[in-house]
Amino acid sequence: MEMFILLIPLVTSILFWLFHQKKGLHIVNIAGSALLLLLAVGTTGRFIALGQDSFVFFFDLFYFDSLNLFMLDTIVIVSFLVSVYAVGYLNEEYEHGLLDISKMKLYYSLTHAFIFTMVLVVSTQNLGLMWIAIEATTLASVFLVGFYNDKNAVEAAWKYIIICSVGIALALLGIVLLYISTVGLFGDPHNSLSWVFLYENAGQLQGSVLKISFIFILAGFGTKVGLVPMHTWLPDAHSQAPSPISALLSGVLLNSAMYGIIRILVIVNKNLGSSVYTGRMMMALGLLSIAAAALFILPQKDYKRLLAYSSIEHMGIIAFALGIFTPLAAYGALFHMLNHAFTKSMLFLCTGNIFLKYKSREIAKITGVLKILPVTGMVFLLGIFAIAGLPPFSVFSSELSIIIASFEAGHYWQGAAFIIFLALVFAGIVSSMLKIFYGNNVGEQVTPGEVNKPGTVVIVIMLCIIAVTGLYLPVQLGDFLSAAAGIISGGR
Amino acid sequence: MEYYLDSLSLLILISSFVLVANKRINSYIKTFRLQSFLLVILAGVIGVEKFLTEGALDIIVVCVIILALKVIYIPRLLKNTVNKVEYKVEKDFFLNIPIGVLICCALVMLVYYSISSVVPMNSGHSQVYLVNSISVVLIGLFFMISRKKAIGQIIGFLVLENGLFTTAMLTANGMPVIIELGMFIDLLTAVMIMGVLVFKINENFESIDINKLRNLRG
Repeated sequence: MEMFILLIPLVTSILFWLFHQKKGLHIVNIAGSALLLLLAVGTTGRFIALGQDSFVFFFDLFYFDSLNLFMLDTIVIVSFLVSVYAVGYLNEEYEHGLLDISKMKLYYSLTHAFIFTMVLVVSTQNLGLMWIAIEATTLASVFLVGFYNDKNAVEAAWKYIIICSVGIALALLGIVLLYISTVGLFGDPHNSLSWVFLYENAGQLQGSVLKISFIFILAGFGTKVGLVPMHTWLPDAHSQAPSPISALLSGVLLNSAMYGIIRILVIVNKNLGSSVYTGRMMMALGLLSIAAAALFILPQKDYKRLLAYSSIEHMGIIAFALGIFTPLAAYGALFHMLNHAFTKSMLFLCTGNIFLKYKSREIAKITGVLKILPVTGMVFLLGIFAIAGLPPFSVFSSELSIIIASFEAGHYWQGAAFIIFLALVFAGIVSSMLKIFYGNNVGEQVTPGEVNKPGTVVIVIMLCIIAVTGLYLPVQLGDFLSAAAGIISGGR
Repeated sequence: MEYYLDSLSLLILISSFVLVANKRINSYIKTFRLQSFLLVILAGVIGVEKFLTEGALDIIVVCVIILALKVIYIPRLLKNTVNKVEYKVEKDFFLNIPIGVLICCALVMLVYYSISSVVPMNSGHSQVYLVNSISVVLIGLFFMISRKKAIGQIIGFLVLENGLFTTAMLTANGMPVIIELGMFIDLLTAVMIMGVLVFKINENFESIDINKLRNLRG
């Protein structure tokens, strides 16, 4: 039954090649992602109702507990919303002659393959298979990043595949070292890369090898997460990809790579008996990412690049929270992952509508969004404030819990620096972006009125989600998040 | 047995020095093929030994796959790509070759000192193995940043992967076979995608000089 969660996106991805009509492609796309959504949410519901801790399936290769079910649900919900949006987006581009049926087929097929690889990352418990899946996420999305095939898109795609492949190769070295630290002890190569086995026997692993292994894995998966100074592929890829793909890259791909770090972090911390060693590195990289993003956001001329730097900032926030490693911080980190996934995907989807209307990615060329695109403009304006961390939106509440956790754990200087950098980022985002919303001298070719109707409905739904979870978290969701956070901080 | 493995790991390291000293793209590809062939022998030695002691065939299977992919298929793919996009021979490196070789020596020393400080790894054969194979990883990385052409970066990436396989083979007798297979599929797809992108770069920039990819900054 659970196996279908993996099979559906894979089959959907292949199914597109049987259809030659636009309508058929759209139907397969919606049906595939809706089915995946139903199955994943159903599995989660049953998991909560039965009160299970975890379960394995398919020769112990796959494993679900509340942590990866949480990640899985984030991925499938965001992908479903993005799939609905993509129908309208691709239709608009088709009408303007920017793509034909075969390119649309390629887009859909690769997108679903991309979703499959992300689902694979979060549902496997074998760390080797997880590495393969994280590398596969890059491979599935390279042509999506270079989708428009012009100079900039090809440059972004080349940087993306080279930098991420090298980074992930370094993570493989980390995983090989982790494997070495177990083979000498247990000698059974069958399950020595299984997370549950490593977690149960974490105390007996060789600490000094694990420490080196963690450095390689942090640098490797950190490249994919976009932590400074390994972030250089991220702004290019996010700005050049079609907007629905930017939404998936930023909203859920970065989270799945961060999930890889979390699993290893838990084992290393359990082995070392404290989080000081890993915590220092994670907090330093986190603060560096937030600071670098604060600097780079100010001079940005391209609104998608600006949002990409904001993604770097938010990944920094999550890394910082994981560095603190108290139960409250782990809760904050997971809650922040959820909030960032929804808020940032919503913003990238809004930029898609703006791009369809104005045909430009430059902030300076865009004025009067509120008048031209009333709904998208409103959602985008509120979303900008949400991502910058203004209450009542959910990003504010998770940032607040991370700040509290930081001071409770005694990291006063780091907490203070964190707040200052967040304030700088807030000022940077708001002062750069506010220009596009007002003004009258819009060109003649831009006529008022919404484009991409289904997409506009999607972004309004997303806005409702982030506004509601900011004020009130349903009890079940809160308990589920706490259980997932307990798995992380259980490694103390 | 250990003598063979010691000398093979050293030969793999030396082949990566040869790579850094190569000037032309075709000679990189030849050196890469030579290095992969050494890796095949290494996997063969370990595989036969494991087959004789435990009766397990998995490493021999891995050895055959490396032979098919890294010695035969990927070099041919790269050669075809080069023939299609390379019109004239140009200087392809930022640093002089002697400086490059010296930097690689420094990298090996760095690896030696770092490995020596880690307790369970700094004794016996595993130290030699780790120093040699992690040096290959770092030299592959250095090679990637020292060449201007896109093909040079692909070769650097492949050498880096060779270093990783050597590490896994020598210190842990290879990873579980399902993981190895997955890694080969990933590697193959990655190289094929990079090959396609080389064509696209050539179309858009009229050269495969990575230095010209400078539109996106800041």
